[in-house]
Amino acid sequence: MDVFLQQIVNGISLGGIYALIALGYTMVYGIIELINFAHGDVYALGSFVSLAVLALLGVQDEVHGAALIGVIVLTLAGSMLACGLVGVLIERLAYRRLRNAPRLAPLITAIGMSFILQNVMQLWKGPSPVPVPQFIPNPTLFHSGAVEIQLKQVLVVVLAVVMMIALQAFVTRTRVGKAMRATAQDRDAAQLMGININTTIALTFLIGSALAGTAGFVSGVYYGTAVFNAGFAAGLKAFTAAVLGGIGNIAGAMLGGFLIGLIEALTTQFISDQWANVVVFSVLVAVLIFRPSGLLGESLPNKV
Amino acid sequence: MRSAALRSLGSLALVAMLSACGTSTSTTTTSSSGTTSASSAPAAGATTVAIGIDMPLSGDDASIGVPTKNGVLLAIDEANKAKALPDGFTLVDKTLDDAVQGTHDPAAGAQNVKTFISDSSVLAMVGPFNSNVAQSEIPLTNDAGLVQISASNTNDGLTTGDNAAKLRTSHPDVNTYFRDCTRDSRQGTALAAFAKKLGWKKIYIVDDNETYGKGLADIFDTQFKAVGGAVLGHDHLTKGQQDFKALLTKARSSAPDAVFYGGNTSTGGGLLRLQMADVGMKATPFIGGDGISDQQFITTAGAMSNGSYYSFAAPEASKLATAQAFITAYKAKFNEDVGPYSANSYAAAKIIIAAIAKGIKDNGGKLPTRADVLKNVAATKNFDSPIGKIGFDKNGDTTAPILTIKKIQDKKAIFVDQIILKS
Repeated sequence: MDVFLQQIVNGISLGGIYALIALGYTMVYGIIELINFAHGDVYALGSFVSLAVLALLGVQDEVHGAALIGVIVLTLAGSMLACGLVGVLIERLAYRRLRNAPRLAPLITAIGMSFILQNVMQLWKGPSPVPVPQFIPNPTLFHSGAVEIQLKQVLVVVLAVVMMIALQAFVTRTRVGKAMRATAQDRDAAQLMGININTTIALTFLIGSALAGTAGFVSGVYYGTAVFNAGFAAGLKAFTAAVLGGIGNIAGAMLGGFLIGLIEALTTQFISDQWANVVVFSVLVAVLIFRPSGLLGESLPNKV
Repeated sequence: MRSAALRSLGSLALVAMLSACGTSTSTTTTSSSGTTSASSAPAAGATTVAIGIDMPLSGDDASIGVPTKNGVLLAIDEANKAKALPDGFTLVDKTLDDAVQGTHDPAAGAQNVKTFISDSSVLAMVGPFNSNVAQSEIPLTNDAGLVQISASNTNDGLTTGDNAAKLRTSHPDVNTYFRDCTRDSRQGTALAAFAKKLGWKKIYIVDDNETYGKGLADIFDTQFKAVGGAVLGHDHLTKGQQDFKALLTKARSSAPDAVFYGGNTSTGGGLLRLQMADVGMKATPFIGGDGISDQQFITTAGAMSNGSYYSFAAPEASKLATAQAFITAYKAKFNEDVGPYSANSYAAAKIIIAAIAKGIKDNGGKLPTRADVLKNVAATKNFDSPIGKIGFDKNGDTTAPILTIKKIQDKKAIFVDQIILKS
């Protein structure tokens, strides 16, 4: 039983990272119906930017007290900002001109951007996993029997949930959010209503990529390493999470992320590590057969 | 609209995955001592003889691939200085990298071997480093009759049994593959005996599901049970996996005395060890084969690398009187310590150079064929090398198998034991 609970904890924290990445996929898809394949690599870039910020701050070891908060905020902000700008740049360079082109064209440029980002990271830090300084103390916050919850695990989940709530509020409560929803529903009509489509879409990329930057920061802290090609596998899982939850739906992306994390952890425990992906994708197939638009896809009519 | 879009998603994702898989066969060429290809006409009177080197030289595997490559470079350098070949012949290396995106890659290795084969100045090759790469290369060298000596491949199936027979596709009766390190059946057995000696009774096994890693883990699994130990579980990692916390939580729940890992640092060993700290297994020892004998393991796992044990299928050069001259020369040339397999690759290159020299002599001073070199390498017996007197049996295995066991303390590898086996 203890092990079961511990695996739930593991699964939820892993799911938190997937969920953060999935939010970005779902936002971009919700608005321009494009799968931004470079998104996973923006996430990997987040880890590398965090590394660079930490190096700039001269952080190598554990930091305590007020300085810790400062380092977390600076690193997170640096990572979100850099990734957000890269996202906007990708949109400007590779997607904007192709917005009305056949579907395959932007998909291929997305894959192209993905490889460009990967190779830039490889050139920057080399192909080996780069150790990320473990600057956040990791005390066990909760301990009961064999079940342990550590600070970092809480950090992952809290960040993911806070980001989701903030995003949901932003999209439903603000003027810009309204413009996003209008663009998602009907781009031409939105334009006729005086909404600047280009700015709105660029903003979507900015926010989505900043979330990937958050995930990159979290994964660097949580795993203690940054790998240049980590974005591919994680991106695919997060994309699956977005589809599972109902692509275009913010709460759905979150739900999908946590579900996939949980399925992976529990499959590892009770079946085998090797079967984790098989079970995850079987669940995806089963869900899509019975609910083609994903778990929360239809219940909430508003796309992002 | 929405469901139509979703339907197209699946096919699009597939396209993306396929294209992602197809792009990873690039190789880089690095030449350290003036590589010359056969197409460039040799200067009057000077014939260039090349030895191909195929190793992982970038990414995680570089920390062990480069020192292994350097052993060959040193041998070539010394041979040229000592005029090991008659006047008019110059030895050069043709070095290719088989690592793609940070990890050794069988397809890249095969491509490199094709490059060697098409270059008529290449008379023999040293490599590869990894067993799964060898698996894809042996059929090619067998077809072309190009002799290859690996300094570090330990998988049994490369030289013995049905698997080895299947690799010799074009010429079943000809063996072109040799190695001067020993096999995993011996490495796994020695590790099991060592684990027992340390007093471990229950072990959890994880492997990376590759030719080498799974092979070694399976042997350890069997052998550890044979010496009375208990195997609590045996799991396999998935390529590209980064999160091992669920797996390690499962391992911890069975309370093992140690975790055994069959595989390389680059295929998950370093991260696996690192994450043991996060699931409360900080004090649990970690043991593996030569796949984690690289410096990268210590870099990736950091302080968690302490308390890890590993073996490698070669002698510890610093403990051998015969290897002292080699170690001094290596340090002088490369300004770094020798790697676990540097002495082996040096010896492999020496064997090849001697075979080429004999070929030239037998051929009346003219360039020998690849078949001549192969014949001479296969006949190697009692060859004096830094790692002792070595030779090859009919399968291509060394007749002087030695194993070394090391422990990591304070992020440094410390010699523990050397096991000299009977061939």
